[in-house]
Amino acid sequence: MTADKRQLVWDWPVRLVHWSMAILVLLLWWTAEEGIMDWHKRLGLTMLGLLVFRLVWGIAGSWTARFAPMIKGLAKLPAYFAALLKGGHKPSFGHNPMGVLSVFALLTLLGLQVGSGLFAVDVDGLESGPLSTFVSFGTGRDFADYHEFNFDILAVFIGLHILAILSYQFLIKDRLIGPMITGKRPAQDFGETPLPTMAVRPAALFAALLIAIGGVYLVANAG
Amino acid sequence: MKMRKIACLTPAVAGLMLLTACGQGGGDAGDEASGASGENATAALPNGMTVQEQIEARQKKLENIGGAFKTISDQLKSDSPDVAAIQTAAATVPAEATGMADWFPEGTGPDSGVETEALAIIWQEKEDFLSKISDMQNAAATLNTTAQGGDVAAIGEAFKATGGTCKACHDKFRLDD
Repeated sequence: MTADKRQLVWDWPVRLVHWSMAILVLLLWWTAEEGIMDWHKRLGLTMLGLLVFRLVWGIAGSWTARFAPMIKGLAKLPAYFAALLKGGHKPSFGHNPMGVLSVFALLTLLGLQVGSGLFAVDVDGLESGPLSTFVSFGTGRDFADYHEFNFDILAVFIGLHILAILSYQFLIKDRLIGPMITGKRPAQDFGETPLPTMAVRPAALFAALLIAIGGVYLVANAG
Repeated sequence: MKMRKIACLTPAVAGLMLLTACGQGGGDAGDEASGASGENATAALPNGMTVQEQIEARQKKLENIGGAFKTISDQLKSDSPDVAAIQTAAATVPAEATGMADWFPEGTGPDSGVETEALAIIWQEKEDFLSKISDMQNAAATLNTTAQGGDVAAIGEAFKATGGTCKACHDKFRLDD
């Protein structure tokens, strides 16, 4: 194995979804602050599509995208954390156990955010999410209040995520940001251990896209 | 390499901005709570209601209008709108909005000690406030007559116009939520 050999750790759909979500959260926040609700709703539905895609990709994607190995990795959390404190950090292939917590927390909060937005009604009864026709004005208002509250929680967790990534980058010197852009990191980081293959299966990709787009279409036209 | 660094910083800055925004939201809520003293809530107004009764009564009326708007908005979103439901809801709007100019007597603003999103500027710019109320009442009357006519496209236009009059007033005279 040559020194400059690079190993794929994140497939391109994972990276594309990750950065699209980051940009969308910003745009959704901005459109909400400015009251540009037609775009807020369009972008919210786009976020729904990304979320659905990511959930399917967590089952059908390449190895590091999948939830099952992540959940297994959680068992190593105490040992991982102890090693981290002692300065004995070793790079993980895919999400490290702390990252797994981040993935599940952020996906859950994003899901709650988009989900509550679908049913939300504004205080004047003029603007409303595509599924709000199924709830009363009062219930829609409750969803809107939760939508607002949950965003603050989401923002805190995004802040924690960024803080953690920066700590890895500058304190622990495990550079995680570059690989989330290029998808690759030096193969020597993982020593000689054989790694799972990182294939993006076209059929799985097609299925995930179909479910995501179909889901968004159904929700958008449910009213 | 430089490009990559800039790309890396963007989400970080974004996250910090989000945190700041969140902090500001909390600050507003705190101010609102500290403004409530409860002392004036039971003071009697010239119309016989207490300050609290007046504020709660207008909130109820405005909520009813919001509910009627949602009914109309739901039907307008549908492929096959229920015109009868729109007509019933549209008829309640001018009825609920009757007398709105009298819902905001002096002493029922943010200093009243009762939780309200009515801003002090209502009493500073009373003339503009009253003209915006009458805009809304006129639009609501048109919405009702249009709704009874049953032309869904025309109802959509009248609904938009009415919503615009709500927003015009709320943007200036109501606490931003």
